[in-house]
Amino acid sequence: MATSVRFWKEGQRFLPIFPQLCVVREPNHCKMSLKKLCRQSRQSHARIADAKDGSWTAPGKLLCEPGRLPHCRGSQGNVCRPLLQLNTTTQIRSICTSSLCSSQKSSPDPRTPSDPFQLVSTEMSTLYNDIRMELATFGSVLRDMSHYYFDGQGKAFRPMVVLLMSRACNFHNGASENGLALPSQRRISMIAEMIHTASLVHDDVIDEADTRRGKACVSNLHGQRKAILTGDYILTVSSMALASIGNKDVVILLSQVIEDLVRGEFMQLGTKEDEDERFAHYLKKTFKKTASLLAHSCRAVAVLSGGCKEVQEVAYQYGKNLGIAFQLVDDMLDFMSTEELMGKPTAADLKLGLATAPVLFASEKYPELNAMIMRRFSEPGDVELAREAVTKTESLQQSRILAEQYCREAVRQIQQLAPSPEREALVTLTQKVLNRKK
Amino acid sequence: MFSTTRLPSRTALPTFLRLSDTFATETARTTTSFARSRRNMPTELLANQKPLEKVSRSPFNVAFNVHRRTASHFACRGDFNSNPSLLICNKDSGLQSRTVSMWPSGRKSDWQKALSDAEKVVGYPTSFMSLRYLLSDELSNVAMHLRKLVGTKHPILKTARGFVYDGNNSMQTRGLLVLLVSKAAGPGGEWEEEEEEEGDEEEDSNGRSMVSGIYRSQRSLAEITEMIHTAYLMHRGVVNLEEVTSADGTVDDMSFGNKMAVLSGDFLLANACTGLARLRNTKVVEIVSSAIADMMEGSFLLEQDNQGVTFLPDKDWAIKDWTNHTFLCSASLIAKSCQAAMMLAGHRLDIQKKAYNYGKHMGLAHRLHADLLPFSDTSDPNMPFALTSAPLVLHMEHAGRAAVTDKITQVSDKSMKVDYKQLRLEVLEGPAIHAAKELCYDHAQRALAAVTVFQESEAKSALENMTRAVTRF
Repeated sequence: MATSVRFWKEGQRFLPIFPQLCVVREPNHCKMSLKKLCRQSRQSHARIADAKDGSWTAPGKLLCEPGRLPHCRGSQGNVCRPLLQLNTTTQIRSICTSSLCSSQKSSPDPRTPSDPFQLVSTEMSTLYNDIRMELATFGSVLRDMSHYYFDGQGKAFRPMVVLLMSRACNFHNGASENGLALPSQRRISMIAEMIHTASLVHDDVIDEADTRRGKACVSNLHGQRKAILTGDYILTVSSMALASIGNKDVVILLSQVIEDLVRGEFMQLGTKEDEDERFAHYLKKTFKKTASLLAHSCRAVAVLSGGCKEVQEVAYQYGKNLGIAFQLVDDMLDFMSTEELMGKPTAADLKLGLATAPVLFASEKYPELNAMIMRRFSEPGDVELAREAVTKTESLQQSRILAEQYCREAVRQIQQLAPSPEREALVTLTQKVLNRKK
Repeated sequence: MFSTTRLPSRTALPTFLRLSDTFATETARTTTSFARSRRNMPTELLANQKPLEKVSRSPFNVAFNVHRRTASHFACRGDFNSNPSLLICNKDSGLQSRTVSMWPSGRKSDWQKALSDAEKVVGYPTSFMSLRYLLSDELSNVAMHLRKLVGTKHPILKTARGFVYDGNNSMQTRGLLVLLVSKAAGPGGEWEEEEEEEGDEEEDSNGRSMVSGIYRSQRSLAEITEMIHTAYLMHRGVVNLEEVTSADGTVDDMSFGNKMAVLSGDFLLANACTGLARLRNTKVVEIVSSAIADMMEGSFLLEQDNQGVTFLPDKDWAIKDWTNHTFLCSASLIAKSCQAAMMLAGHRLDIQKKAYNYGKHMGLAHRLHADLLPFSDTSDPNMPFALTSAPLVLHMEHAGRAAVTDKITQVSDKSMKVDYKQLRLEVLEGPAIHAAKELCYDHAQRALAAVTVFQESEAKSALENMTRAVTRF
């Protein structure tokens, strides 16, 4: 039973001196950085502690403020990671009572770090409304069309990750006042959903799709031309919202997403002849089309939380790995729904001529798939044969193992942040991504 | 054939292209991809391509060039949202012969001269502006796929044709205006205080270096402005598959054309986005983005068919609606880009406002000029023109909406027949032409008034000359 560091809080107020605890390894430079830390924070509350039993012992571990982390550089310039393995109440309490908080009475955080959706539900509840406010225009057709997908029926997976990441980063940096995301970070979550939706609208025209999120595509209702212009409009409004945050680095990060989305789409047009290159091509495309948005918006909220480069990188890596895992599962579901939920449009990727992970894995055992991949499953029977090959091999399991690996990496990355209910939620989320059915 | 069209040798490259740090390496790559894309390019796209060397040396060809340039500007490329029906008829009957007969050469040289002078002022031919993106692997790829569409009437072919072979002649006036305004305004005041982080600010310092009186960031902005406009043309040329007729091509082909149009437009927009972000000025990002939003809002005001012919709206369409629509669709981008160029140089708000006004009124005057052109040509009395162009709107204000709707026979839900001959006669007899010209003078006057804020310079005279040129009919 992991105890959250929120333990250190009294109600919603942080203790002024130690917003949270973390333990830093690296014996040699500990003393030095300890002194440095104390100087910088003009506090001498940093103590050398042993995380194992909570007693105050000599070198090896350092208790410091994570907000000061960038200053704790090891001899090779490597950064001390917060280890955070204070697992039991007694450990925390013993540190607590022995050092700072003798006068404070700590109580466990009442919130359980369980459901990721629930954790941010209040902030999410206004999300679609906020987006519709941004998209307010005098033209009624344009307004209806641009609001079409922001009806609250979507999964809103991206905004949720972004909001959780915002809070986790804020907490890590000790910047959070009320445990909520900053207004600018909420804007990023909104922008992420808008960019995603704009790309969906364009993708549906490119793929000639009929339905999306259980209803008719906007391009089917109003024609392709207006749908494309609506997509551009949503994208542009998101770009205006982004600029209004006023942070140049964040603008650059999210513009990169737009470029990646287009480049990913272009990558989808071609197939690599070389079979070894093909998987790398696929993963790169997956990153650009799906993971880039999560990775960059996670990094953007880390930047806005005032996090140092290392925290930003953790956020980016989490988003990237989770995004790739998400798409791998998506590609698996495209095959699995055939067997489990009959009636749904299945093997849609194959019909579009796209070879996803399961097919690529299957082609190792069935080399005859290679020719089909090259001709993009264009000949009659290709789609059926490829689907059969996928079910006959372990390619779906292989895809799952790959997705699990990405999830594990995401978890490894996110655990470098200080523990918080949000961090736990982000860990839980990786499992939800792996086990999702739709 | 492409070698005759000349990929500019490195030394001959416009300064602006050479400014790119990565360009040296890119040149090597793009030369091959250029050749490759060339090979794969649909022949139809290249049919009209003329080697520039030849064109510029022969006096006849210069004159011809002038015609085509202007014609393509006003009619063909759909610039300033111009009347696309002109385009169709040009395409069928041969562009050169028509344009030669359409305007006596003496008239156009004003505009042409103003442009070539202006290009000298900014230091390089601005028609190179899109070259870098044309040569990208992505767009070469699209060009290769366009081969499949030859023979169809997908609008992307027109846009691409303009992009590929008219690249030498076509009017990239938006970019040119941004550069001229930048130069006319000169070096700016104090820069926005910039928190200097060590190391990675190199780009910024480059952005502040001036080449022939224009900041590098302003040159990027000019390029971005052109990209946005081209992307808009691409996306506006997406066809509604439901309305596709057998004359257009098969639904599959048209759908494929849509795919290419969406992708290439997205590609340009994405590059515009990253280019804007790299300017590291969030105010500029905001204002240029708002210009794109304006264009999208504007395109929803009027219904149009798959070939881009706009329909008369159901409600009354007055000249203020025309102005609003034209502002949103084209003038807004010029105006806001001009203002953004001032922001980049750190000019005061009042100067920004003047630049904005110049762009806005120049854009409107230019469009009025384009709208009036079909009425100064008497060669073909049946030549179609847009029912939503300024002279028609003014005609309706004078003679009533029925004066126009009487000439329309609805053939089906989405197609109609118009008695252009009779309608043209009536418009010419009425006061609409005069009123449209007055409006054009008025906007040109406002544009000229706006540039008085700048000190005398050749850039300023170039701006004035361009403005005066659009008021000569």
